[in-house]
Amino acid sequence: MSLSNLIKNWSNFRTRRPYEGQYDDSPYKWAMVIDLDSCIGCNACTVACYAENNLPVVGKERFGKGHAMHWIRIERYWGEGETLETEFPERGAQYLPMLCQQCEAAPCEPVCPVGATHHSPDGLNTQVYNRCVGSRYCSANCPYKVRYFNWWNYPERAWPNPLELQLNPDVTVRSKGVMEKCTFCMQRLRAGMDKAKTDGRILADGEVVTACAQACPTSAITFGNLADKNSKVAKMWKTQQVDLAKNVQEKTEDGIRGYRILEDLNTYPSIVYLERLRNMAS
Amino acid sequence: MSHTVPSHPQMDVQIERKFVPKQKDLGEDVNWAQINKDVLRSLEKPRPAFWIIFFSALALFSFGVYCEVYQYQTGMGVSDLNNPQVWGLYIATFIFWIGMGHSGTLLSALLHIIHADWRKPIYRYSEAMTTFTLMTAALFVLVHMGRLWQFYYVVAYPNERWVWPNFTSPLVWDATAIGTYLTSSLLFLYMGMIPDLAICRDNAKGARRALYKFLSLGWQGTDRQWGNFKVAYMTMACFLMPLAVSVHSIVSTDFAVSQNPGWHVTSFPPYFVLGALYSGCSGIITLFIVLRYVFRFEAYMTQPILNKLIKMTFAIAMVWTYLDLIEYATTWYGSDEVARQDLVYRATGDYALQFWGMIFCAMVMPFTLLIRFVRQNYVVLLIISLILNVGMWLERFQIITPTFAKSHYPWTWTAGWWPSWVQWGIVAGSFGWFTMLFMLYCKIFPSVSMYEVKEMVHEQNMHDKLHGAQAPAHQTALGAIPEMNGGKI
Amino acid sequence: MSMGNMDRRDFLRVLGISGAAATLAGCGNTAIESGVEEVMSYVQPQDFVVPGIGVFYASTCTQCGSGCGIMGKVREGRVLKLEGNPESAISAGKICGLGQAAVQAHYNPDRLRTPMMRSEGGLIPVSWDKATQMLEQRLGPTSTLKGDQIAFLTGDISGHQRVLLENFLESYDSTHHVLYDAISRVTGQAASKAVLGAEQPLLNIDKARLILSFGNDFLGAGVSPVHMAAQYAKFRKAPRGTLIQIEPRMTLTGGNADRWYPIKPGTEGILALGIAHDLLQHEEFAKGVPDEVHALVKQYDQASVSEITGIGADAVHLIAGQLWNNSPSLVIAGPGAEGHAYGFSNVVAIQLLNVILANRGKTIEGQAEHPFPQLAPLQGGYRALAKLHEQMASGQCQALLIHGTNPVFTSPSNLPFADSMEKVPFKVAFVTHLDETAGNCDLVLPLLSAMEDFGTHVADYQPNGVELMVQQPLMEKLYPESRGFGDILLDILKKRKPDSYTAFPDYYSYIKTAVVKAKPVFKVTDSDDHFWEDALRKGVIKWEGKPTALEAKLSLLEVPKPRGLEADYPFYFVPSVRPDMRDGRHAYLPWLQESPETMTTIVWDSWVEIHPKTAAEMQIREGDVLVVQSATGSVRAVAYIFPGIQPDTVSMPLGQGHTQLGRFATGVGVNPYKILDPVFDAHTGELALHATRVTLRKTGENQNVVKDEGPTNFQNGHKLVATLDADQAKLSKEI
Repeated sequence: MSLSNLIKNWSNFRTRRPYEGQYDDSPYKWAMVIDLDSCIGCNACTVACYAENNLPVVGKERFGKGHAMHWIRIERYWGEGETLETEFPERGAQYLPMLCQQCEAAPCEPVCPVGATHHSPDGLNTQVYNRCVGSRYCSANCPYKVRYFNWWNYPERAWPNPLELQLNPDVTVRSKGVMEKCTFCMQRLRAGMDKAKTDGRILADGEVVTACAQACPTSAITFGNLADKNSKVAKMWKTQQVDLAKNVQEKTEDGIRGYRILEDLNTYPSIVYLERLRNMAS
Repeated sequence: MSHTVPSHPQMDVQIERKFVPKQKDLGEDVNWAQINKDVLRSLEKPRPAFWIIFFSALALFSFGVYCEVYQYQTGMGVSDLNNPQVWGLYIATFIFWIGMGHSGTLLSALLHIIHADWRKPIYRYSEAMTTFTLMTAALFVLVHMGRLWQFYYVVAYPNERWVWPNFTSPLVWDATAIGTYLTSSLLFLYMGMIPDLAICRDNAKGARRALYKFLSLGWQGTDRQWGNFKVAYMTMACFLMPLAVSVHSIVSTDFAVSQNPGWHVTSFPPYFVLGALYSGCSGIITLFIVLRYVFRFEAYMTQPILNKLIKMTFAIAMVWTYLDLIEYATTWYGSDEVARQDLVYRATGDYALQFWGMIFCAMVMPFTLLIRFVRQNYVVLLIISLILNVGMWLERFQIITPTFAKSHYPWTWTAGWWPSWVQWGIVAGSFGWFTMLFMLYCKIFPSVSMYEVKEMVHEQNMHDKLHGAQAPAHQTALGAIPEMNGGKI
Repeated sequence: MSMGNMDRRDFLRVLGISGAAATLAGCGNTAIESGVEEVMSYVQPQDFVVPGIGVFYASTCTQCGSGCGIMGKVREGRVLKLEGNPESAISAGKICGLGQAAVQAHYNPDRLRTPMMRSEGGLIPVSWDKATQMLEQRLGPTSTLKGDQIAFLTGDISGHQRVLLENFLESYDSTHHVLYDAISRVTGQAASKAVLGAEQPLLNIDKARLILSFGNDFLGAGVSPVHMAAQYAKFRKAPRGTLIQIEPRMTLTGGNADRWYPIKPGTEGILALGIAHDLLQHEEFAKGVPDEVHALVKQYDQASVSEITGIGADAVHLIAGQLWNNSPSLVIAGPGAEGHAYGFSNVVAIQLLNVILANRGKTIEGQAEHPFPQLAPLQGGYRALAKLHEQMASGQCQALLIHGTNPVFTSPSNLPFADSMEKVPFKVAFVTHLDETAGNCDLVLPLLSAMEDFGTHVADYQPNGVELMVQQPLMEKLYPESRGFGDILLDILKKRKPDSYTAFPDYYSYIKTAVVKAKPVFKVTDSDDHFWEDALRKGVIKWEGKPTALEAKLSLLEVPKPRGLEADYPFYFVPSVRPDMRDGRHAYLPWLQESPETMTTIVWDSWVEIHPKTAAEMQIREGDVLVVQSATGSVRAVAYIFPGIQPDTVSMPLGQGHTQLGRFATGVGVNPYKILDPVFDAHTGELALHATRVTLRKTGENQNVVKDEGPTNFQNGHKLVATLDADQAKLSKEI
């Protein structure tokens, strides 16, 4: 952002995101659907993320201090209210895979003093490690608390030799003092998009998926390109009647499961969750 | 405008307007020569308490430096900050120090503009307090940074890649506002000191003389110099007033632009500014009592002045209390369920002790200022002024910690989160750093404005003269000093 | 790229030209089968080795017995990440967390790098020369060991490893292959075999309209969780099936149930009889059921069943009604029902439901017959170990070889395996990590990791036809001193029976020869090399196989007698098996230690789960350190208040409390195996894992429970995980 660029495109900076047709001209807008009725809470996605994205294992003491670095975490709730109304959780547990929602109007983005987190043209909320100074304002502002800060110099202890040989060379190993978060497996997307560009096409649906979606044994996670109207994810958003650019979704009928989490905060997340189902007659 | 040159034609008009105090702000025996003597003595030989305070502060500061180095080397993790609790004491104390910095300007600039002369003996150190509290606050911006060594990314500096800071971030506004405010305050402090530095220069020897000579910029006390000086000083005062208001308003946007419960409050900017003035005034009272004793300023820091200061503090405290209560009221009656829950949590949850501590220290304790005994007993007042600031610090703690502990996302709530010793050490170190700088300042520079107190004495005498009182016989011309303290400075 | 093929990513080529090629991915590689070292330069690399580009090789996961096909991403000679192999019917391109952590087993800093030999009371590193010398001296041609004097103790084993091992024993005229798995399903398998004629019937989860599971954690720590999870996902699609789970402690699967019922441990069979009682009221179910079954079931009306099981009378009726209305249904028994003194009877009673409901042939079938039974997986349980223990204690056993099992850690305290090991003069462990059992051995041999070795596997549970899973190295071995299990056995065999084995330079050539020889059975007409390369490339060789029919023998039905509580031991103790730790062998994998156990979200620890009501009665808060005392021992762990548990029951996870097994496992948690009561199944004699009774004692200490969950586990009114009545959902319209 040079100064002249800043002045010239001032209206862009002032545009409220998202708006209808924002990605009409863009080849890509990455998005996800997570079916909570399929999610079984098995943690395969979590481990896949550790493997793919060089997440450090922090150990018991640091985990206990709240320094865990799981970009995707499985939350387990017992109920929607404040207490369990029955003696037992009769309808099972409520599992929720929570990862960066890649909000279109991300509360983390405008507050970063150095612009280390910003919106990419393909709709990702990116984090530039080199630029991050570690003010943690983004994390303070994130309603989902899915940003993870490098409280320690994790590489010192997380991969005792030869565990470091497993590290993914496509992904930076973060040093102390920077914020990090789910990238929708940016490195996979980047490689795929570059390859597609070389071939003079756009990525086919399912050609590149995130590590969590790839591992998920129940295929509860669907990842894809929302800008491609024929992609599975775009069709799912449409069937579920969730509009990226709306903060209140109008549904034509009952029983349509798609919703976005904390939508009332006007964050416009890129992840649609599908309601968990239970046979209440059982 | 001017009220320094006795023969000025406007003088009479001004005196006409002046309220006749029941009790004079300065004692009868204060004369110009005595002023120089007393103030210059403060640069020389304070009471032993000075050294006790100074070295305690140095020790605290050293410990703070140790904690910071440890944190720098090991990682922010040593502070026990964690995923929701990302800021902890660092930002709370940052706001506290910024707040402390507000009353100095208020006293020096606002009261200067409205010609409240009682500010004169106490504005200099208040301004110094402002400067040093801002420097302390700036430290916290650095301390809380995960990558301190890259702090300059926040500054908008020209670079070959044209990478700018993010101008939409309140933190950049913060950095800008604080930077401006610090520069202006420093300039204002320095500017106001020039005539006094000249006096020091004339009375000092050796290295100190060279220092004062360099700093007094060739001040001779000519009419032209005084004229320019007065215009510049008033301009600066007028500039500083809105600036001071804007700085804490901007700091409040750090929180107010966020959607977090307890932060998303429209009344935050005035609330923060008033809170800042409140803690600043309490700080000035504290330092008033300390300096009065340490540097033997009994003749200048008098009961009537203190009384006025207390009145002002009380008034500010009441406005602040009002704003605080309407914040609770709007939250309670508002539609934001999470914010209401957050309010209940503050009052009844893990940090209830701190919450009620704040209510007690910052809302109830000011009422003790209505008691004459309290106002007149320096020891009691010292303690109360400190309690008020403890209350204000707790208020900042209240804004940060419970909000993070119970934000929108229930999974990441924390229960009973508490900062580690490293955080406490750095906070303590900041108090040491401030006290150390402030005491050093008072030892090196005149912490009571000599020329303005002289003006005050003069005006008091003129007043007396007009109303039949006799001016002291030994009143001499401005700047002329009969006794030189042996030229030892 | 078609929509239906979205798991296949063609920009990442799936390769696997040959075993040699598989390892030639970087500089300075060794061709394993030839033993020749070759320096490969990037100036002139193989055409598929491009620096910076990862290539995938197919292999087989050995983390559990499921035998999932995997693909390893290899780059610059290093294996980086594992994915599911779409060619495999078992994993179908998916993979679980445990499977992915195999790379950490491979790169684990605590892997054994050289042979260790006992000397002066401790194990010291020695060279292979010395180790081989000792092996030859004890086991070589001059060895006088015969018959039961030598014992080979292994865990779950299949494929050519098993064949070679049996051939190895045969050379001593021995068949003394002892199988031991601490969390074995021997009782359940025996009961299934008795009723249905199949140890592990094929469960068509996706075809069922209703699944009634008695303590079977088929999505978590089950027999083939990745496959079953995929089936479960289909089961949940339109028309959506209903899952009812009955178990004392909520497992991962229980957490996914439409309705979860806590039951008093051990009374599962009686509940099944109660449901049968309800069903048999109806003519259509009653016909064809033998009279003795009628007579037995008649005693169990709803009121008495409710009294025994703790499940409401109306609930019994409700379950029966749903089974009746939703056909085909599927009733599954699991470890929760099996691990009791009458576990066998429980399972028989539960399988009775499948018979009554005529699920046979629809949702439950027999697995396809295996053309090579000698490759089929073998499993064993406690009884086999106890017998070996007696033989060892009596001095009958002269040499003990151990692979793939850790009885010193997993045996309960009534079976002090470490003590009996002392009576055996020569004990050899084949391990990748020095575990508790290996620590008691005289010779410990470092094995290649699963990422470095060849092998063939047959899965415990074959969903679709039959597959032979091929395991190939994904990279060059990390430690020159480590060797393959098959290679070591083959070396000894070559010495003992030179005529039969000198033809095989190594284990690779052994399995290659064996597999290629079986080519006609696979009905393949390719050349040998092509066939073999294809097998390596796909990681799996498939047979056509059709599910077989199940029989229904109900004569064994008897009344299970649950073990009640005693005044001294007022709580049932249910050890839970974590899907990632299993019996504890995976505790050294940091990803798994740090991966929150799903139901509690606790990491790096052991804990005691207590129902909130019980906790309130006993004034126990979360984090209180409790002593869990059984008749045989006690352990200390922190309390965790957990609503998904029957109030008279406490539960602890198995797998932690290692004293050896590397830095990530030792000092973490406690080992509940050691407090299990010696209660055995009346029919099979297997240890009843769920039949222990304990008492709780507070120590007054309180510790922070390290978990991911915060102070609340409710959604605080937000729409985080929303739940919709399945009737209202329009699944059929969804994509």
